[in-house]
Amino acid sequence: MDKKFEDLTITQDGQLLLEKAEKDQVETVWQRLQAQQPQCGYCDLGLSCRICIMGPCRVDPFGEGPQKGVCGADADIIVARNLCRMVAAGAASHSDHGRDLVEVLASVAEGKAPGYQIRSVEKLKQVATEYGIDPEGKDVLPLAGELAQAMMEDYGMRQKQIKLVSRAPQKRRDLWEKVGITPRGIDRETSEMMHRTHMGVDNGWQSLLLQALRNALSDGWGGSMIATEVSDILFGIPAPKPTTVNVGVLKKDQVNIIVHGHNPVVSEMILKACESPDMIALAKEKGARGINLAGVCCTGNELLMRHGVPMAGNHLMTELVLSTGAVEMMLVDYQCIMPSLGTVAACYHTKMISTSDKARFPGMEHREFHPENAEQMAMELVTEAVNNFVARGEVYIPVEPVNAVGGFSVETIIGALGGTPDPLLDAIKAGKIRGAVGIVGCNNPKIKHDYGHVTLTKRLIENDVLVVDTGCVSVANAKAGFKVPEAIEMAGPGLKEVCGSLGIPPVLHLGSCVDNVRILVLVSALANALDVDISDLPIAGAAPEWYSEKAVTIGTYFVASGVTTVLGPMPPIAGSMNVVKLLTEGLNDVVGATFAVEPDPEKAAVLIRRHIEGKRKALGLASVDV
Amino acid sequence: MKEVTVHPERCVGCMQCMIACATAHSQTRQVLTALMETPLPKSRVHVGAGLYNEGFPNRCRHCNPAPCMVACLAGAILRDPERDTVLVNPDKCINCAGCAMACPYGVIRFHEDSTAPPDKTVAVKCDNCDQRQAEGLIPACVEVCKSGALTFEESTDALKRKTDEVARSVSRGAEEMSLSPAFSLLTAAKRAQLSL
Amino acid sequence: MKYVIVGNGIAGISAAEAVRQLDPSGHMTLIGDETALPYSRPMISMVLDGSTPLEKLPIRSPGIYDDLNIETRLGNRISEIDAGRREVVIEGGKRVPFDRLLIATGADARPVEVPGTDLKNIYTMRTEAHVRHIIQTLPTVRNPLVLGGGLVGFKAAYGLLKRGLKPTMLITSPYPLSMQVDEVAGKMILDELVRHGLTVRVGISVKAFEGSKMVEGALLSDDSALPCDLVIAGKGVVPSLSFVPQDRISVGQGIFVDEHMETSLKGVFAAGDVAEHFDIARKTRWMNAIWPEAAMQGRVAGMNMAGRNVSYTGSLSRNVMRIFDLDLMTMGLANPKADSEYDVLNAHGFRNNLYRKLVFRGNVLVGAVLVNGIEQGGLLLALIQNETPISISRKKLLEPGFNFRQIMN
Repeated sequence: MDKKFEDLTITQDGQLLLEKAEKDQVETVWQRLQAQQPQCGYCDLGLSCRICIMGPCRVDPFGEGPQKGVCGADADIIVARNLCRMVAAGAASHSDHGRDLVEVLASVAEGKAPGYQIRSVEKLKQVATEYGIDPEGKDVLPLAGELAQAMMEDYGMRQKQIKLVSRAPQKRRDLWEKVGITPRGIDRETSEMMHRTHMGVDNGWQSLLLQALRNALSDGWGGSMIATEVSDILFGIPAPKPTTVNVGVLKKDQVNIIVHGHNPVVSEMILKACESPDMIALAKEKGARGINLAGVCCTGNELLMRHGVPMAGNHLMTELVLSTGAVEMMLVDYQCIMPSLGTVAACYHTKMISTSDKARFPGMEHREFHPENAEQMAMELVTEAVNNFVARGEVYIPVEPVNAVGGFSVETIIGALGGTPDPLLDAIKAGKIRGAVGIVGCNNPKIKHDYGHVTLTKRLIENDVLVVDTGCVSVANAKAGFKVPEAIEMAGPGLKEVCGSLGIPPVLHLGSCVDNVRILVLVSALANALDVDISDLPIAGAAPEWYSEKAVTIGTYFVASGVTTVLGPMPPIAGSMNVVKLLTEGLNDVVGATFAVEPDPEKAAVLIRRHIEGKRKALGLASVDV
Repeated sequence: MKEVTVHPERCVGCMQCMIACATAHSQTRQVLTALMETPLPKSRVHVGAGLYNEGFPNRCRHCNPAPCMVACLAGAILRDPERDTVLVNPDKCINCAGCAMACPYGVIRFHEDSTAPPDKTVAVKCDNCDQRQAEGLIPACVEVCKSGALTFEESTDALKRKTDEVARSVSRGAEEMSLSPAFSLLTAAKRAQLSL
Repeated sequence: MKYVIVGNGIAGISAAEAVRQLDPSGHMTLIGDETALPYSRPMISMVLDGSTPLEKLPIRSPGIYDDLNIETRLGNRISEIDAGRREVVIEGGKRVPFDRLLIATGADARPVEVPGTDLKNIYTMRTEAHVRHIIQTLPTVRNPLVLGGGLVGFKAAYGLLKRGLKPTMLITSPYPLSMQVDEVAGKMILDELVRHGLTVRVGISVKAFEGSKMVEGALLSDDSALPCDLVIAGKGVVPSLSFVPQDRISVGQGIFVDEHMETSLKGVFAAGDVAEHFDIARKTRWMNAIWPEAAMQGRVAGMNMAGRNVSYTGSLSRNVMRIFDLDLMTMGLANPKADSEYDVLNAHGFRNNLYRKLVFRGNVLVGAVLVNGIEQGGLLLALIQNETPISISRKKLLEPGFNFRQIMN
C-alpha cells in the first residue's frame, strides 16, 4: 500500500478506502487541499477584508504595503471583525438547528407532526420549570406547546437574558454581568454581531471581541442548549448503549443507509422507517438480510447516543464511506456536508438525498422534510433505498467494526456516580483523577486525520485525566478503542481505578456538537458542588483538529464560560498581535480562561496538564509540576 | 537597468501577481473583460507551494546564456539586448517542449495565446512586460505585489539592501530580525502542523 | 589563428558563433556536406507529419556566414585529416590548413543491410532531403512500413499517422522506445499510437525486401510476408568519422573528447553526434547524439578553440515528444537494469493519466521518465546534470505540484 495514505490518516479504514478511492479515480478533500496550496497568507493571517466594496482590502504584514483598509480599519480591527463574523456564523448555525427543533416541538403540541412524540416527559417538566412554566396539572402536549413558545422568546428581543443562563453558577453569571456579556437573545446577538461588523460600526477591536463572547454565549447557553434539551424531550435522554464504529458497520448483506448532517428531526424519522416491519420485509424480498442504518457526523451521533445506532465515520470519512460501494442511500440535512459528495456518489450506485429547505447540494435529489410530512417522506425514501439494493456493484468493506459505548448524558453520568457528582469530586480531590478535559471539534485535512484527537486523549488518560468527547473526536476515540470498559488498561492508575469501579470507560462519549452544552451543564454542577466558579475547576477544553465556524463559536463559549481551550489549527488571527495577546493571555483577566494554540497534540497534552495542575494548586489540592 | 527581483521570504501566496500578469497579457488588459476572451489569457509567473506550503512567485530569470535558447530546435528563442529579455517568437515556435526540458526553473508553459497565431499552441514565458515598459509602466506582477515579494529595481540596490539585512542579522538575534512577527507566527504554526 | 570547422549542423554553427564572439578577427572556414543553411534536424519529422513547412527548417538566416565572416566550402565531405601537416583534405584533393580544428560531421543513418535495399521507396530519415523525397511518395502510398521502435522510427510512424496513413511498425524489442522508457510508459505510448491506427509487431525484423523496381513487400524474420510500398528505417545512426586517423585521434563509437571537447590530438576538437563524451548519469563514455547536446557541445568547443578554458563535464541523454494526447519526456538513465545500485520510484496518477518515474543512485537523481505533466521536467534535468544531492523527501519529486521552491535553499 502506498505509504502516503499513512501520512493522511491514522485509521486503518481511512487508509484502505483512500487507496480504493484513488483506484476508483475519486477526488477527495486531501487532493483539493493540496491543489489550493499555497493558501493566501493575507487570508490566513486574517488580514484581508471583503466586508464592503470600497475594498477588497489587505494589510501588509511586512509593513511596507498598505497598513489600513480603505475605510481606515487597521490590522486589529480587520482581524477582529473577521473572527467575529466566524462566531456569528457558527452561532447562527447552531441556533437554527435549535430553532428547527423548537418548531417540531410546537408542531407536536399542535398534533401536526405525525411520527414525532414527547419521549422524555421528565425532561419536558424539568426544562419547563426552568422557563418559569409550572408543569403541575398540565397535560403533556399543552405543556410542550407552552415551552416551545417560551423558547421562541429566547430567540428574540423581549427578554433581558436567555433563560438557561440561569444554569450557570452564580459567580459566573455575576462575572458576565460585570463584563457586560450576558446574552440577551439568541438571534439578537448574532444580528448585532453582523451589525457591528458592518463597515463603520464597531471599530473597537476589544469591544468587537466582547460581543463575540456574548454572541458565543447566546449559542452555548441558548441555541445549542435548546437544541440538546428539545432533542432529549422529543427523542429521549441518552443512556449508555453498546454500539460500533468505523466503516465496518456497513454490512455486505444488508441495505445500508447512511444519515449525514446534524438535526435528529430527520435522522430519527429515518430510523423509525428503517425499523418498520414492512420495510424490513421489502428488504428481504430484494435479497438483503435487513436494513442497516448508520450515521456519519453529528446526526449519526444523535442516533448513537439515544439508540446505539452505529457510526461509519467522522468528517473526513464522509467521502470515503461512499467508496465502499456499499451505500444504497445517503440522506443529508445541513452543516458539514461537503458539496463534493454528489460527485463521489455518482461513481457508485449510491442515491444522494438532500432534505432541508435550507441546504441544496450539487448531484443530490431534493426531498424536503417538514414536521407534517417527515414520517411519510422517511418511509418513501427508505423504500427507494431498499429498491436500490439490487443496483449494488462491487462492495469493499475492508475492516471489522470496533465496539464502543456511548450515551453519556449528564443524567447518565450523575446516575453512574450514584446520583450526585460527589464521587467524581472526591476522586478529583484525592488526586486519583487529576481533572477533566472536554475534547471536541472536527477533522481538518491540515492535521493527520484523527491523530490529534487520539494522541491527546491517550496522553491525558495515561496521566489520570478524565476525557469527555463530542463530535468528530468522539468517533475518532471510539474507533481507537477507548470506549470499552477494557480501555481502562490504557489509563493511568487513578483513572483506571475510578472508572473500573464505576464500570465506565476512561473516555466518555457525550454526543454531537450541540451536546457540548452537556459539558457546560456538567461543569456547572461540579462548580456548584464545590461552590466555586467554572474557571476555578481543574478542567480544560481542546479542539485538536477543528475546521468550522461552529468550532470557533464553541471554543469561544467554552472560554467565555471559564474553560481554557487549546486549539490545534490556528485561527486567522496572527495578523494582529493585539488580538492574539488578548485571546491567549488577556482574556484571563476578563473571563478567567483563555485560548491557546498548539498543533502538536503531545505538546498540547503537556500544556493542558500543566493548566490542570495549576488549578488544583489554586484550589488547595495536591498538585504536581508538569 | 531595473529588473524584477524576487524576495521569497515575503511571498504570502496570494497569487495577485498571476492575475495581474494574465490580465496584462490579455487583449483588453482589464481583468473583467480578460476573463471573457478567447483564448483565455494565462499568467507567465507561477506561484508554487514550497515544502511548508509557503508561496513562491516562480518567474523566468532571463538567463544569460539561456538554456532554453540553446535548446530551441526551431531557433524561436532570442535575446533582446535592449531590455536584456529572453523572448519566444510564437510564429517560429513548434511546441516541441525542448525549452521546458532545458529550463532549470520550470517557468515555461504551453498553450494558445493572443500573441500567437490562432489555434496554435506555443511556448509561453515571461517577457519582462516589455510592452508595458515601452509604455512607461512597470511589470504588472510588481505593480500588484503588496508584500514586497516582487520589486522592480536596479540589482545593485536590491543587493545592497540584502547586504545590509545580512550584516544586521550578524549583530542581532534572529527574533528581532523577523520582518513580520505575524507572518513568522503563521509560518511557524503551519510548519508545526505539517511536521506532525 | 586559422579555425576550420567541419560540419554545417548545429554543433558546427554554434561553435562558429562562439569562436567569433571571442575572436573577431581569426580566419574561419566552414566545410559541410549539406548545402542547405544550418537547419533543425529534429524538425524534419514535423515536416513529415505535416505540421511544419520545409521553409521553417533553417535556424539561421541566409546571411549568417557573412555575419560571422566565415569562408564556406559547402557540398563537400572531407576524406582525410593530415595530423602531421595540420591540414584537412576535402574529397577531390583540396587541402585546408588549420590551427584549431572542430570535427562536427555528425552521423549518418545506419543502413539496413538486407537484400533488396536497392529498391526504390526505401528510406532512412536523417536529412531534409530524405524527408522531401518521402513526402513526394506519400500520395500513392498504401502500406507504409517503419523499421525500428527507437526515436526516429517512432517519429516516422507518428508522422505517417498524422498524414492519415496506417503504418505498420516492426520492432525487435517488446515495446517501442525501449531504450528510453520502461514498460509502464512504453505501454501508455503504445496504447495511444494503436488507438490512432498504428499496427505494431514486436520481436520481429525484416529478412529481405521484394519488388521489381519499387519495393512491394517485405519478408519477415518469422517467414511471413508483408506488403509494403514505402519503408522508413530508423535503425540508429553511425558517427561520420571514416576520415579520422585513429592512430592519432582516439575513437570509440564516436570520437573521444575530454571536458574541453578536445580530442586526443591537441588543437583538434569534436562536438555533436560524432563525439563521444562522458555520460553524467551512466558514469561512462556513451553516445548521446541529440540536438541539445550538439548545440551545447558546439558552443563549448568553440569557446575552447578560441582560447577560453571552459569545461563541459558530461553529456546526458534526453528527449521530449508530444504524441497525440500524450506528452513524453525522458532523461538520463531512465531504464536501469534491475540492480541494487539504483533506487526506482514511480507514481501513476490514473485520474489525469500522469506517470512519473525517477531513478536514483545513492541520493543523486540519474534518470527520469515523465508522461504528461512535463512542464517541470527541466528541474529534474538540472538535478541530474548538476548531480545535486537530493535532501528533500523524494516523494515530492513525484508529485504534480513539485516546483522550484521545494529545492531552493
